[in-house]
Amino acid sequence: MKILVPLKRVADPDNANKIKIAPDGAKIDTTGLEWKPNPFDEYAVEAALRLTENGATPKVRGGEVVVVTFGPKEADTTLRQMLATGADRAVRVDTTDDALDGSLVARALKALVEREKPDLVLMGKQAVDGDSNQVGQILAELLGWPMATFAATLQEEAGALLVGREVDGGVITLRVKLPAVVTVDLRIVAPTSVYSLATARTHKYADGVRFSALPAIMAAKKKPLIEVPLAELSPDTSLRIAYSKFEPPPVRKAGVKVPDVAVLVDKLVNEAKVL
Amino acid sequence: MRFALSDEQRLLAKSVADVLRKHATPADVRAAWSSDVGSAERWAQLADLGVPAMLVPEQHGGLGLSELDMVVVLEQVGRFALPEPVLETAMIVAPLLAASSTPEAAAPLARIVAGEITAAVLFDDARVAANLHGASVVVLARATEGVQWFEPAAGATKARRSVDGARRLGELCAPPTWAPMVTGDRAAELTARARDRAALGAAAELVGLGRAMLDMAVDYAKVREQFGKPIGSFQAVKHHLASAHVALELARPAVLYAAQRTSERAADASRACSLAKAVASDAATGAARASLQCHGAIGYSFEHDLHLWMKRTWALARAHGDAATQRARVAALILDHNEGRS
Repeated sequence: MKILVPLKRVADPDNANKIKIAPDGAKIDTTGLEWKPNPFDEYAVEAALRLTENGATPKVRGGEVVVVTFGPKEADTTLRQMLATGADRAVRVDTTDDALDGSLVARALKALVEREKPDLVLMGKQAVDGDSNQVGQILAELLGWPMATFAATLQEEAGALLVGREVDGGVITLRVKLPAVVTVDLRIVAPTSVYSLATARTHKYADGVRFSALPAIMAAKKKPLIEVPLAELSPDTSLRIAYSKFEPPPVRKAGVKVPDVAVLVDKLVNEAKVL
Repeated sequence: MRFALSDEQRLLAKSVADVLRKHATPADVRAAWSSDVGSAERWAQLADLGVPAMLVPEQHGGLGLSELDMVVVLEQVGRFALPEPVLETAMIVAPLLAASSTPEAAAPLARIVAGEITAAVLFDDARVAANLHGASVVVLARATEGVQWFEPAAGATKARRSVDGARRLGELCAPPTWAPMVTGDRAAELTARARDRAALGAAAELVGLGRAMLDMAVDYAKVREQFGKPIGSFQAVKHHLASAHVALELARPAVLYAAQRTSERAADASRACSLAKAVASDAATGAARASLQCHGAIGYSFEHDLHLWMKRTWALARAHGDAATQRARVAALILDHNEGRS
């Protein structure tokens, strides 16, 4: 199976206090930010690796995982990180972070999918910076492919995937014919969430994403990473979303302690006016 | 020249940190205090990552990485106060065995690379060393008498109490039968390099330890209130923490510079390693003191995690030459205009 995994670099949420807004409010100032892969996309890479191997012999590849990201040259670091984790090839669509929206990314991905011809596009359900949750859905529509979102489990079948989706009140299982677009949720990296045809159903993976061993980090330097100009994939680079202004969230006021329930209720009724 | 870690080195640090965050929690470090032997499971995790093989050349089955790569890993080892003997095994003994290029060294080296065993090193007349009780191979490095080694049988060593209960000191019970490995000038050279790597590796761990203790203190100062305000808002606390931060920020480049010079076999490598150990020892002990002060009484208690990091710092600051010894060595190397091995 050949799997294309689009991934996005996001500002490290652990250092969210470093995020600054340009004085004119026109954009987020990314100077000095530390970047890391969007966690949901990391989970998608882990799921893709599990689908292209026998879990008992993970060092033997049984398919191909191609990772793709959009961004400037510095975004290569994110791709190298995924190559060190086990992905086979990488593509960086050359652009700048603030010249993108979900629609443009999906349009460019469509062109890349037509080039690469993967059996599956597997991606995070959303990025933790914009939380837009758009690209997977738009891409599936543009391609005319089946789609399953928020996957918590994946089981490979001949020419299809069984996708388990956690919803309110239970789990919905969909059989999705390949090629397809699937977006993943956080439980996709649980020990028994993903099984390729080659992996025994009794196999249990380690919980979470796999670590990059040091030899793999060194070997990642030699794996193919190509750069493709954005305009080559999407001559129309116009954005569907216009950002009018950015501003930081209001500073949270200090709370107060109330002596008893009566005072609390009084404040909720008369000050907060929520009761 | 680019004075920054490469993408691979940053990824290497992240990878090790990810593993240690999961497998070397403060509870694990605390548990190591009540065990005479290391965690085989944790060592296997490190071996899976490739840590024991880092400084072993590729022709010996290793990864052929440099001391600069290794200090990046050791900084994380310190940050998590990992109890396992990465410094002794991967930084000191493995490259020493590899550099000896003797048939005797081949078998223990292969087992270290495979992650099957750990190692300890004794310099000169020492009888006590970290990981001596539990190591499968012990190297005795002496500049004049040569490099020797032995495989301890049961009863050859015994555990020795350390200020840091997780560091697991060991002592020779009786003079062992040492097998010769290298003699002459080559032995002197290998011993000097091993000493430099020991000081450098300890310095890297100390930077990681210091950073972890400072982070603990800063986090605590943000939430612990006195006089109705977080204690971090008081200048007396801020200045302590800022001073510790500045010292660590100055120590880290000294460690990285020393690692680069060591990997290049540069003439000033010994001086750089001594300087790194001196400033890192002072910076980490300073961070320990500041963190203890900011934590107040709770920091003194055995129940608080700070003491696990603090006691490792006290132990490592004195191991492989304390700050005063290393400064004296720096002075001697400068005054004698002797940048060669001493």
